[in-house]
Amino acid sequence: MSLFEICQALEQTTISSIVRDSAFPYVEGAHVLGLSLSIGTVMWFDLRLLGAAMRTRPVSEVFQDLKAWMFAGFTIMFLTGGLLFSAHATKVYANGYFRVKLALLILAGVNAAIYQVTIDRRRSEWDKALVPPLAAQAAGLLSLLLWFSVVAAGRIFAYHL
Amino acid sequence: MIWELLQPFVEWIGNTAFGQWLGQSTDRIAWLFVMHLFGLTLLLGTTIVLSIRLLGLGLLKQQLAQLSRDVAILRTTGLVLMLISGALIFTGGAVSYFEGQWFRQKMMLLLIALLFNFTLFRKVTNAEEGRYSPTLNRITAVLALLLWFSVGISGRAIAFF
Repeated sequence: MSLFEICQALEQTTISSIVRDSAFPYVEGAHVLGLSLSIGTVMWFDLRLLGAAMRTRPVSEVFQDLKAWMFAGFTIMFLTGGLLFSAHATKVYANGYFRVKLALLILAGVNAAIYQVTIDRRRSEWDKALVPPLAAQAAGLLSLLLWFSVVAAGRIFAYHL
Repeated sequence: MIWELLQPFVEWIGNTAFGQWLGQSTDRIAWLFVMHLFGLTLLLGTTIVLSIRLLGLGLLKQQLAQLSRDVAILRTTGLVLMLISGALIFTGGAVSYFEGQWFRQKMMLLLIALLFNFTLFRKVTNAEEGRYSPTLNRITAVLALLLWFSVGISGRAIAFF
């Protein structure tokens, strides 16, 4: 089964037709406003890694404080995003801008994973540093750039559907 | 009544060369929407972070006034981005936007949200610890979330209804 056929099958589901025919504005609204809870919170952890905000608090504490909200935010984004995708799966699949968005999303994930298995392993050494080491700063900056690019790609692709 | 008074002004804006130029290209409008979403992420994101603290749900080791200072620059940036991009988007389709009930509702809510933001919200979030009661803090947070998210929901509704 090719990816395109999977998209075709997805479009035939009941949930897809419900989103397409009636729920779309609400799901889309939740997806847009969910930006505040997802990127709006992960952003503060990134800024802490850059030493640009909340710098007097340990990095681990900032993470603990924001963890649940980030998780809730990204859960909303992936659920609503999945529903929106299912509504017009074949058209979206063929859209170049959407592919850019997906690639950026994957890069954001890879960046977070690399951070986890490298500099974050030695966090106890720099947890309280006002300005974390360069590798941590790089991860924070890259995360900010990637997430805001995901937003831009998302908005632009919706215009070219 | 106030809307009727504004009508000639809106028609003039929409018919200026600049307004026509903005409205001509969907690409231009799409990029303005990207700016609008960046602003939304910053403004609603900081509203959520401050509300978490005001509601006593997290970030409790941070001094409220310190947290406010930390998020202030990005909060202001978000607000300015939203107002400028919003005004430009409006200019690109002034007459048709102006007729919409959701647009008018959004503007009323925005006005209330701005008034609230620069009075009670600013006062409570900049106060020293214990200056105001936990109850007032909670009321402020709930009002902030309700007002700003109502503005957001009305904004999304303009596009759909």
